Amino acid sequence: MDISDILQDLNRDRDPFADDDYDDGRPSGQTDLQALTRAWINERAPQNSSHDLIERATNRIKAQIEKVEEMTGDMDPKTNFSLIIIQTEVERWKFIIRSILRARIAKIDKHTLYYLSTPELQTRLSETEIAYATRHQQLLHGHYLGSFLGSFPQQLQNLNDTAGGISMIGGPDEEGGVFVRSLGSHEIGGEGVVVRGRGRDGDGEVEVARGEVVVARWADVKEVVEKGEMELV
Amino acid sequence: MALPLPPGLTPTEVAFLCEMEMVTVVPRQKLESLNLLAGATQALRPPHRVPLPLWLALLLKRQRRANILPPPWLLPASLDKILKHETEISTETFSPPPPHPYAVSILPSATDHISPPFLPSSTADSPPDYLPYHWLELGEILLDACSDDIPDPDRVRTLLRDLREVRMAKMRASTKDLEGGGISSLRGVGAMEVAEGREFMVGVMDGLRQLGASREAARREREEDEGGGAGQGDSEDEDMGLE
Repeated sequence: MDISDILQDLNRDRDPFADDDYDDGRPSGQTDLQALTRAWINERAPQNSSHDLIERATNRIKAQIEKVEEMTGDMDPKTNFSLIIIQTEVERWKFIIRSILRARIAKIDKHTLYYLSTPELQTRLSETEIAYATRHQQLLHGHYLGSFLGSFPQQLQNLNDTAGGISMIGGPDEEGGVFVRSLGSHEIGGEGVVVRGRGRDGDGEVEVARGEVVVARWADVKEVVEKGEMELV
Repeated sequence: MALPLPPGLTPTEVAFLCEMEMVTVVPRQKLESLNLLAGATQALRPPHRVPLPLWLALLLKRQRRANILPPPWLLPASLDKILKHETEISTETFSPPPPHPYAVSILPSATDHISPPFLPSSTADSPPDYLPYHWLELGEILLDACSDDIPDPDRVRTLLRDLREVRMAKMRASTKDLEGGGISSLRGVGAMEVAEGREFMVGVMDGLRQLGASREAARREREEDEGGGAGQGDSEDEDMGLE
């Protein structure tokens, strides 16, 4: 690596996923696409991850669609093909966003009470998602009350009982197996990410080299995935 | 509206993902730079080579506006070499993935956390001796869309099929590693292989975990009693994943 590389590094966006990348005047749609794609794949994991980025991506799409509408004004056959390309790309972005949101709704549907149960988990949801989850739970509870719960004794009507040490609220299976790829870490020397895996006959720390794909329990790698040192595949 | 799919990408979604890989095209027509959402594309001026995402390259190819240059690893000679490596040198594990093109620098930079499909592993100047993460999908898509641009496409098709079979056997064999739990490495695995094997492997893993849950809990309790919570030497995942 020589000095020009270092200078180039300095000029690069420090955090590719930061919010302020509108300010420097550089188009960073590429980094947004990468972040969006990663968010999409990560979202297909068993548990909801935190929510942002979507708004930025939808704003980009909105601006692009406006541009397309302007361009269709002057129907020049030459711009026609460019329009097809631009629209194809917009459709691809829309597909990813739709898929992310639908995957999130599926998880909310499945574990509504779980995601509403603690403030920490609630912060992972957007405002509209919280509204959706609350309404979903209300309807469900109303239906249960009307169909069978109403005829139960009062103390058996709770849906979030923790009597007997077992919570009634079912969450996602934290121990489920996932496929993750190491993205590399800045810590101590090597580029690998050190993961502590728990097994049936013993626990052990493993260094996962950059780019290597491993199978692990979600609970073991959750922290490094959230830190951005690993991604799901 | 909720997504009815199981966790993890399905093969069709993997193919969609693969279409974001960069390939090199040789344009046959001029096309001005386009301001796409992911940034501006380079202007096309024949006969200058340009890197473009695969979905755009396929669109141009279909309209006969460009030719796609096959990545070096998709040439029969390279595939032959990789197949040899898979069958003779490392008979247990997959052939290694291409090295990461950007080293981790001391200062955090945007390239640190880039991963496939955004790494340039299938452009005309990518390394010829490694199968990239999206090798199977990319090979199939290119053979389907532009077999006229690939030298000796029939031979390439046969080699891809051979590679697939060899690697599928390895994928199946790797389920043995899952028995003890912990972290099991699949270094060099491809995206489509993960998508295909996911349901089975995760199923095996979860089933074995539930069967061994009491044994695991008992071991953990015993270790806590002995005072040392750390892993014991008999852990089989300690020798895995280390280079």
